[in-house]
Amino acid sequence: MDHVDINRLKTGEVNLGTSIMAVQFEGGVVIGADSRTTTGSYIANRVTDKLTYVHDRIYCCRSGSAADTQAVADIVHYALQMYSQTAGEPPTVHHAASVFQKLCYENKDQLTAGIIVAGWDKEVGPSVYNIPLGGGLFRQPWAIGGSGSTYVYGYCDATYRDGWGRDECINFVKNTLALAMSRDGSSGGVIRMCVITEEKVERLFVPGDELPRFWEGREVLGEAVPKKQPVGEAGIGLVPMAVEA
Amino acid sequence: MSIMELNGGSVIAMVGKDCVAIASDLRLGNQALGISANFQKIFPVTDRIYLGLPGLATDVTTLRERFRFRVNMYTIKEEREIEPETFARLVSSTLYEHRFGPYFIEPVMAGLSKTPSGGYKPFIAAADLIGCLNFAKDFVVAGTASSKLYGVAEGLWEPDLEPEDLFETISQTLLNAVDRDAYSGWGCVVHVITKDKVVTRTLKGRMD
Amino acid sequence: MASVYSPPGFNFSNEIRNNFLLEKGLPLPKATSTGTTIVGCLFKDGIVLGADTRATEGPIVADKNCEKIHYITENIRCCGAGTAADTEFTTALISSNMELHALSTGRKPRVVTAMTMLKQMLYRYQGHVGAALVLGGVDATGPHLFTIHPHGSTDKLPYVTMGSGSLAAMAVFESGWRADMSRDEALNLVKAAISAGIFNDLGSGSNVDACIITATHTELLRNVEMPNQRVEKERKYAFRRGTTAWKNQTVRDLIVKEELTTVGAGPGEAMDTT
Repeated sequence: MDHVDINRLKTGEVNLGTSIMAVQFEGGVVIGADSRTTTGSYIANRVTDKLTYVHDRIYCCRSGSAADTQAVADIVHYALQMYSQTAGEPPTVHHAASVFQKLCYENKDQLTAGIIVAGWDKEVGPSVYNIPLGGGLFRQPWAIGGSGSTYVYGYCDATYRDGWGRDECINFVKNTLALAMSRDGSSGGVIRMCVITEEKVERLFVPGDELPRFWEGREVLGEAVPKKQPVGEAGIGLVPMAVEA
Repeated sequence: MSIMELNGGSVIAMVGKDCVAIASDLRLGNQALGISANFQKIFPVTDRIYLGLPGLATDVTTLRERFRFRVNMYTIKEEREIEPETFARLVSSTLYEHRFGPYFIEPVMAGLSKTPSGGYKPFIAAADLIGCLNFAKDFVVAGTASSKLYGVAEGLWEPDLEPEDLFETISQTLLNAVDRDAYSGWGCVVHVITKDKVVTRTLKGRMD
Repeated sequence: MASVYSPPGFNFSNEIRNNFLLEKGLPLPKATSTGTTIVGCLFKDGIVLGADTRATEGPIVADKNCEKIHYITENIRCCGAGTAADTEFTTALISSNMELHALSTGRKPRVVTAMTMLKQMLYRYQGHVGAALVLGGVDATGPHLFTIHPHGSTDKLPYVTMGSGSLAAMAVFESGWRADMSRDEALNLVKAAISAGIFNDLGSGSNVDACIITATHTELLRNVEMPNQRVEKERKYAFRRGTTAWKNQTVRDLIVKEELTTVGAGPGEAMDTT
């Protein structure tokens, strides 16, 4: 196989155009996704939940073909139920990610699925695994995925810092996804997030009209004297990019 | 050029007052070349069910035998004659079994079904090549002249036609539609089914 | 046809021949498809499903009043769009399996069960079975409404539309849907959504079918709205008898005539049955 063709969705297939993300912090992980599902240019679902439960403390973020990722997530969900019943203990995130990876790798010719697995287990605590298109398996402190992710790699690299707490991670995910959604036509809608810790899974929701806002352009043509506009001041909820001290 | 146009041919069925009629042309062609002017496409299934099979000629023969076999098996197992509604389902599921390698036939069925009170009720149905049934109250058409047949039948059909009037309506519908179709024609045959007899007539039509 | 018994599932025996014909440049004929507007909508006490009644074969209207709301179980129904034969047989198969499942578990069937069966079947066929469905029903866990796409993906939403008229119908829903509507409000909204499809989408037409499912009742409203009735013809177009010239006629007599002929013993002599 020479390369993976990412544009091989069959015509009429439902696509998760998608921006997805996961970040680990000391006590858990924050995962997030936009809510847009498209069939061509039509938004088939504007409030999709792409954060899918596979076990009590393990979730996955789905991107690619809706049918493929739902089928894979259903199989993994089943496998983890069987595992926890036979082993008598919850599976580790690595175990869950391995089941995903096995399915994605062995059926790579037939699947269009980019999945991020994240969660908490008692072996290693919080962890994030990225399983991109070919079926590889990579543990990362943070991961982004889906068509929208290409627009925000630079932002993430420039912004992310080790040792962040829960709230900083939530903000990081929220801002990253908002930026990705604003640039990517096949991402959009609302932001759904989950904070997975040992104690609980907390769901967070950001409505489409309350997304973080950044520089949104300014009319230049026909302007007589270019005025100096301070960015991020007296703004309507402007969120400045993280700047190093 | 579609596969349906390889051999040509059209069938129509209509409902009348306590009667049904089914009619077809008699042409068998190899694309534009006429081969036969006596190619039957309508076959009796039971005394009161007739089946029209327009489409690819090889499949006309294959399906005719296949349905004969399956209807015989049904008759032996059930120890009774098959009802038109049941036969329509049999046709439908036989075609859908070949969903991914279909027979190029669009069957048309006409018959009288027994009512609980002992009378007979007109029944017509058509299916597409993968077995999607269409139970119409008025008429059904299929074959290379189907688009023309739809138009003419829509204009000429009216409810509660007596057998003799139904014969005229279905004959004129078919004759006139087929005259505007290059792949159908070369004579026509009409069957009018009533509760006590089936009248079969071959029509005088254009032979070009 | 060697055997009386045929294996279950699809038969691919015509494939080689059909591929040969296809290679000669003869395209496959069009199957009946339901261009279709189908919708579903959640309301206070349950689900309302709606559908138009047009079936098309390319540009031809094949059926002016077909039924697109299919029976799954008493409390679950399914609207179908796409390849007509596929929606017909897929829903019939799942309906059958749901009945067997209910019998073997001894429980009332659930909507998620039907949804899972449908999505797994459609996923297995990788989109080749062209059924786009709106599944709705009320079970022990409450009302549920799903869309199922031909490739096997599902969505769960409070109001859904599918088929070629889905855009027109969704426009109506997006502007008119509210949470906790009454039965009549929901039915009127569904009627408006289907009508939007009927009048603005070429693939949809004729009448409105609806189905209201609540915890206790399922009510199928066949042709609730008939906005496209044809006016009766002012004159008759029946031909005078004898118009059509015919060459020959055969009459098959279906009346069985019996004639009793007594054979052997003469009249009055009883049969010896000792």
